[in-house]
Amino acid sequence: MYNFLRLSVLFAGLFAATCGYAANAPPPLTTSDDLGPEVVQPIEFPHNKHAGDAAKGGMQINCMYCHTYARRSAVAGIPPLQKCIGCHQSIESVRETPRIKKLFEYWEAKKAVPWKKVHDLPDFVRFNHERHIQRFIFKQGKPVQEVCGYCHGDVKTMTVARRQKPLSMGWCISCHQKDHPVDAASTKTTHGPNDCWQCHK
Amino acid sequence: MIENSFNRRDFMRVLGWGGATVALSGCGNTSIEDGKELVTSYVEAADYVIPSIGTYFNTTCAQCDAGCGIMGRVREGRVLKLEGNPTSSINKGKTCGLGQAGVQAHYNPDRVREPLLRNGSKGETITWEKALELIKDKIGVGAGEVAFLTGGVSGHTKVLLKNYLDALGSGHHYAYEAVSPAIIRAANKKAYGVEMPRLRLDKAKVIVSFGADFLGAWVSPVHFAQQYARFRKNAQGERGVLVQIESKMTLTGANADRWLAVRPGTEGILALGLINGLAAAGLSVPKDVLDLVRSYTISRVSKDTGVSTEHMDKLVALLRARSPSLVIAGSAAEGYAHGSQNAAAINLLNKVLGNVGKTVEPPSAISFPQITPTTGNRSALQALNDSMAQGKVKVLFSYGANPVFTAPVTMKLKENMKKVPFKVAFAHYMDETAIEADLVLPLNSAMEDWSTSVPEYVAEGAQLNIQQPLMEKLYPGTLGMGDILLALLKQRRPDEYKGYEDFYSYLRGAMVSIKGTLGKASESDDTFWDGALSHGVVKLKDTPISLANKVSAGNLALPAPFAEDGGYPLHLIPAVSASLRDGRNANEPWLQESPDPLTTIVWDSWVEVHPKTAAKLGIVEGDIVEVASKSGAIKAQVYVFPGIHPDVISVPLGYGHEAMGRYAKGVGANVFRMLDPIFDKETGELAMHETRVKITKAGQRVIIVKDEGPAGGNQMGRKIAVRMSSEKANISKEV
Repeated sequence: MYNFLRLSVLFAGLFAATCGYAANAPPPLTTSDDLGPEVVQPIEFPHNKHAGDAAKGGMQINCMYCHTYARRSAVAGIPPLQKCIGCHQSIESVRETPRIKKLFEYWEAKKAVPWKKVHDLPDFVRFNHERHIQRFIFKQGKPVQEVCGYCHGDVKTMTVARRQKPLSMGWCISCHQKDHPVDAASTKTTHGPNDCWQCHK
Repeated sequence: MIENSFNRRDFMRVLGWGGATVALSGCGNTSIEDGKELVTSYVEAADYVIPSIGTYFNTTCAQCDAGCGIMGRVREGRVLKLEGNPTSSINKGKTCGLGQAGVQAHYNPDRVREPLLRNGSKGETITWEKALELIKDKIGVGAGEVAFLTGGVSGHTKVLLKNYLDALGSGHHYAYEAVSPAIIRAANKKAYGVEMPRLRLDKAKVIVSFGADFLGAWVSPVHFAQQYARFRKNAQGERGVLVQIESKMTLTGANADRWLAVRPGTEGILALGLINGLAAAGLSVPKDVLDLVRSYTISRVSKDTGVSTEHMDKLVALLRARSPSLVIAGSAAEGYAHGSQNAAAINLLNKVLGNVGKTVEPPSAISFPQITPTTGNRSALQALNDSMAQGKVKVLFSYGANPVFTAPVTMKLKENMKKVPFKVAFAHYMDETAIEADLVLPLNSAMEDWSTSVPEYVAEGAQLNIQQPLMEKLYPGTLGMGDILLALLKQRRPDEYKGYEDFYSYLRGAMVSIKGTLGKASESDDTFWDGALSHGVVKLKDTPISLANKVSAGNLALPAPFAEDGGYPLHLIPAVSASLRDGRNANEPWLQESPDPLTTIVWDSWVEVHPKTAAKLGIVEGDIVEVASKSGAIKAQVYVFPGIHPDVISVPLGYGHEAMGRYAKGVGANVFRMLDPIFDKETGELAMHETRVKITKAGQRVIIVKDEGPAGGNQMGRKIAVRMSSEKANISKEV
């Protein structure tokens, strides 16, 4: 009796599948060199100026100065606009540049900057920044930029960030299988957790 | 009822095919949205805000009138989950299922979002300025009273409401609660001088409850549940004994050590019979009481009430052996034309047992009479209805009540409302009353609003509950009740109220001005106010009062048990369920979805019928029957249930909305509508349990959607666990 209904649902689904393929074919989400798509941001934020080496005109600001939530929370968080203004209100030299003018326009309107997400994970994956930062930066004492760079690449050379690593499960596992020293002083090592529910919960 | 012939198995098949094809289309793609999704950051972040980590704010639950303190987990500016506030002496950090569903009242998709003005059969969006101006104009026109119908009110909302009605001069306040222990309050007032004495369940060694569902839906269930736990295992490790006497089993009845099915309406007779039995067993009973109960011999009372002499003797022996005890009169005892008498007889039993002062304690008086709770009752609606019928009302305000849904059809409330030229409904949903209104004003949800309240039943000391916003308003077009009242007051007394920009500033000012009387004079205004907000409750000065000892046998005259009514042989008990209560929360799907604790039925009304009665009438579970009273009729599915007196059927209240929203509308049947107009003789309250009904098969039969049964409800015969008696089971093999 429901054959008719069943078939129609099947066809509808198949049609959706074909359309989905056609529409989603270009651009591929991961390229051969694991680069993510180039993301156009409302303000072309120069990571290289802020975090870059002093020799190359950078300020060498610690990643965690702006991404302050990374060590405290699952998400790194985009810094509040207040944080940008906190410094820039007293940096007269760049006050009239187009990007900073735009920044102050947002601030005066008390509007949040609509940043685009660069590093996204599927909804069924829970990545926790705090665990990784606490372990590698605070326990092992590794340099901040190196630790952040495991997943985010060499951000200090970029303007707006672009995904550098595949962020796929196999890629995560490849690091979780390695032995890491438990802290800076110890020779004891452990590897990352291997349970499904660590990330899929 | 599910009448669709598209059954579960077919549904699963279609879903399977559909699911497979959709899964195909998903191949190779994930939910990754690099460069598409926005990550909006804060403009200015508070120090304590860390993305993905919750912050807790204390406020007050608005799901029922118990006034439990709650704290909401707020993350990234959105309230996600509610917990109990440990600072509140009412619930001490606990919540109930009804309270948990509070977030669904807030995020409900059917909330009214803009002020609406009637234009023919439609509502047109108007601005708040225009709406308030319209109210001012309509009040200014013609003679007649301005009627303000509310539920129970207290705190600063009550203060503003009273001031507004005073300013109008012609204003009348009607406080209406469809389901309230109004008759018991009146009986208590007479006996003890207070409406609600404190019941110390934790101090009692025996509790005899006449239909008080204190674990489910009566007065302050979360509080009573905690006291009950201590009653079941007190500091000495003793276990209290609970005896529940009622005609329809409630959640409390299901927890009792002994559940006694009593003939409906004979609770008072049973109480007097117990006094007689206690006197015979050697308890000293005053002379006048003895004279009253002399004729209530155990054998006669047993015949009248249907409770066996054996059970009565055991109960008398139990009450003699264990003291102090506590006798509670609940909704099952008060719901009759002689409800006041029933309640008085039960209070008398408490007095004779010497419980007054031991397990029945005086509440604390609150030193600010203007914020004390005004409790609602059903006679208020009756009075309003009479006024409207005579065409005396020119403007009707309705807030926190849904009388078109909860009034019996015999009141003709809907027709009488049509005689009111201008009707204003303050509403969360387009419910049955809002649909009848000329102007609908959308309210903030309880999680967006400022207010204060004093609950009717506070277990320890005296406290004022604070309700504060947990997040920004979801819809810019809604407004808080306090803000609306303030705006209306500014129309009348501009000089007095012009200093207050909004209700928040009024509230803060009012609270800060009393800090001295609360013993906080040394704190700065900011410290005091921040402390109040962070605790969510303000402890008020606790003025002890003493109970008036006016319990007496005088004027107590109980009628003989009901005569049979051949045409309508069954008694209808409209059950108050722990989730739906009077139906105000029916549009919260969690409450519709959570199974009734006793029957496990979801998403529908049902008619509880005793197996014997069902056999006599030839009906089985799932039969659709028509339940008809002299005033109306409903159709619902039958659930055969042994926890009910054979002469009684029961249908839960709160279902059967004709409006309100997608989850409430059309689910189940409304029992309020079919109640007969029989009133308690002393208080004039509608006697909720007096309606007599007959049931007839309507011809259909459905599969009841429920959780219960060895096979996990009806899951196509699929079994979860094989049921066998424990002595036959071989555990080593099972594991």
